Amino acid sequence: MLKGSEELFIIYTGNIPLSRKYSYFWTMEIFTSGKLTKVKSRHEPGVSKQTGFASPATHYLEPTIDLNQELVVNRDATFFVRVDGNGFKEHNILDRDVLIIDRSLSRNFDDLALIIQEGEFKIKCIPFGFSEEEFTVWGIITYIIHYAR
Amino acid sequence: MIALVDCNSFYACCEQVFRPDLLGKPVVVLSNNDGCVIAANKEAKAITDIPMFEPVFKIKDQLIAHKVNFFSSNYTLYGEMSQRVMNILGMFSPKVEVYSIDEAFADLSGMRNISLNDYGHLIKETISKNTGLPVGVGIAPTKVLAKLANRMSKKIPDNNHVFVIDSEEKRIEALKWCKIGDVWGIGRKHAERLKNIGVFNAFQFTQLPLQWVRKEMTVVGERTWRELRGEPCHEFVMQPPPKKGIGTAKSFGIKLPDLERIEEACAYYISEVSEMLRAQKSCATYVQVFIITNYHNNVDKQYSDSRTVTLDIPTNDTFNLISAARKALVEIYKPGYRYKKVGVNLTGIIPQDYVQGNLFHQPSKLNNLKLIETFDAINRKFGKATISSGLVGTRVIEWELIKKERSPRYTTQWKELLKVGK
Repeated sequence: MLKGSEELFIIYTGNIPLSRKYSYFWTMEIFTSGKLTKVKSRHEPGVSKQTGFASPATHYLEPTIDLNQELVVNRDATFFVRVDGNGFKEHNILDRDVLIIDRSLSRNFDDLALIIQEGEFKIKCIPFGFSEEEFTVWGIITYIIHYAR
Repeated sequence: MIALVDCNSFYACCEQVFRPDLLGKPVVVLSNNDGCVIAANKEAKAITDIPMFEPVFKIKDQLIAHKVNFFSSNYTLYGEMSQRVMNILGMFSPKVEVYSIDEAFADLSGMRNISLNDYGHLIKETISKNTGLPVGVGIAPTKVLAKLANRMSKKIPDNNHVFVIDSEEKRIEALKWCKIGDVWGIGRKHAERLKNIGVFNAFQFTQLPLQWVRKEMTVVGERTWRELRGEPCHEFVMQPPPKKGIGTAKSFGIKLPDLERIEEACAYYISEVSEMLRAQKSCATYVQVFIITNYHNNVDKQYSDSRTVTLDIPTNDTFNLISAARKALVEIYKPGYRYKKVGVNLTGIIPQDYVQGNLFHQPSKLNNLKLIETFDAINRKFGKATISSGLVGTRVIEWELIKKERSPRYTTQWKELLKVGK
C-alpha cells in the first residue's frame, strides 16, 4: 500500500483525529516516510523485561492438558474413525462422532469393539466367551468424541 | 543375533487394513502419476498375466477383467504406517536400523534365557495386532543370514513367517535351500558367473576359496561370503549417510508444450529437493535438468535432452538453485514438442559448513540464510508449498500428478478419517 509512495507521510502520535480516508491506520505506527520499516502488530503479547517480583506460580508451572496424552495410551496402535449415520445409536454412538480405537488392547467381555463381519465394519460389544471365529476384532473403542453444539 | 523384520506386500496391505471388503482379493498399487504397477499382494501376484512395472494403460483391460482393485500410491499413508511398525519394533530391541519403508534390522544380541523363535512370534503378532499389517521375521547371527532366514520364513509355509538360524545344521540347511541369485548382495551378473562355474546355491558359494571370491567379486563379495558363514561384517547403521545426489522427476498430469509451465514445474521440484538438501545440512555444487517427451506415444515427435550447470559456490538456497536450473532449462527447451516430464538432480553434495568462497564470490550471506530458514519454518507449519518462489506459480494443479485412485490419508488428515456406518 505504501510501497514507493513518497508523498504519504503520516506520523501517528496519539489522539489526533485522522481523516476517514486513512482511518485504517489507527492501529499502526509508521516511523518514516515513503518506506515502511516497522509495523507493530496489535496482537503481539508483550513480555515484561523489568525486574521485580517473580510470579508466585513460577515453581508450580505445569504443561497444559494435552488430550493426546489423556486419550491416547498407545500411539502406534491408535486410530481415529469417523461415524457416518445413526446406525449405532444403541451404543450411544451418533452420526459424525469420532471413535478412538486402540488395537493393542486385549478383547475382554463387554468391550465395545470395531469389528469386521462379512467384509464390513460394524460396532459390537464383545460377547461372553468370544472367539475370533465369529468375527474379527479390528480394535477396541476407548473413547467416543461427540460434538455437542 | 540380528532380526530382519519386513512387511508382506506392504503397500497393498496398508490399503487393506482400512478396506476389509478387499481382504483376500487382488490389490495392486500404481506408481506416481498412475504410470505403472509397483506393488501387488499375493492374490494379485497369483494372476500370472499381470506384468509388474508395465505402464498401466497397456494392462488396464487385464486388471479390470480380473477384478483387480487398483490404488494410486498414497505415500502419506504408507509412510505413517511404516513409522508405526518401526516404533513397535523399537519396543523389542534397543537398536533398530530402518532399512527401507517396509523392512528393518533389529539387534537382538545379549538376549538370554528366551527362545528366539518365541520372541520372533511375539514381534510378528504384536505388529500385526497393533497395526493390522502382516510381517515376516528372520533371525540369524548376521545380516545376510537374517535376510535369508526372513526369506525362508515366508517361502516355507510351515515356518509361519518366523524362522531362526541358530545352529550349524539350520545354517547349512538354509544355505542349501537358497538359490545363488536370491542371496542378498549378489547381483544378477555375479549370479550368472557363479552359475557358469557350477555354483547354484548359497552353500556352494561359501565353499569357494576366499582368495577367489576376493579377486573376482571384490571386498563386497568377500563380506557376503563371510556373513553367510556366520561372521558378522555389516555393522548396524543407525544414521543414514548423507545422500550423494538428490533428485526428482515426475511425469506431468497433462502433456505440456510451453516453456512457462515447464519452468513452473521445474522450480517446484527444485524447491522440493532444496528443502531436502537443507534438512541434511548440505549444499549442492551441480544442478542437472532434463526434459523428456512421451515415448509411449507413436504420433508425437520425440525429444529429450539434459544440461548440467556448475554453481559458482555450492549452495542450498532455493532461489539460487532455481535460477541455475532455469538457465539450464532455457538452453535445452525446444518449442514444438509436447513434454511429459521434467527432472532435476542436485549433485556434488558437500556439508554446509565446508562451503568455500572464491575470489569473486562469497558464500550466501547470513541474510539469505534467515530468509530460507523462515521459508522452511512456514512450510513445515502450514503445509508443503504454502510459500514458494514466484516462479513456481499458482497453477500447480495443471501439472501436478494424477492420483485418481488415491485412498484417503486415514491417519494424517482429520477430514479423511476412516468412515464407519450403515
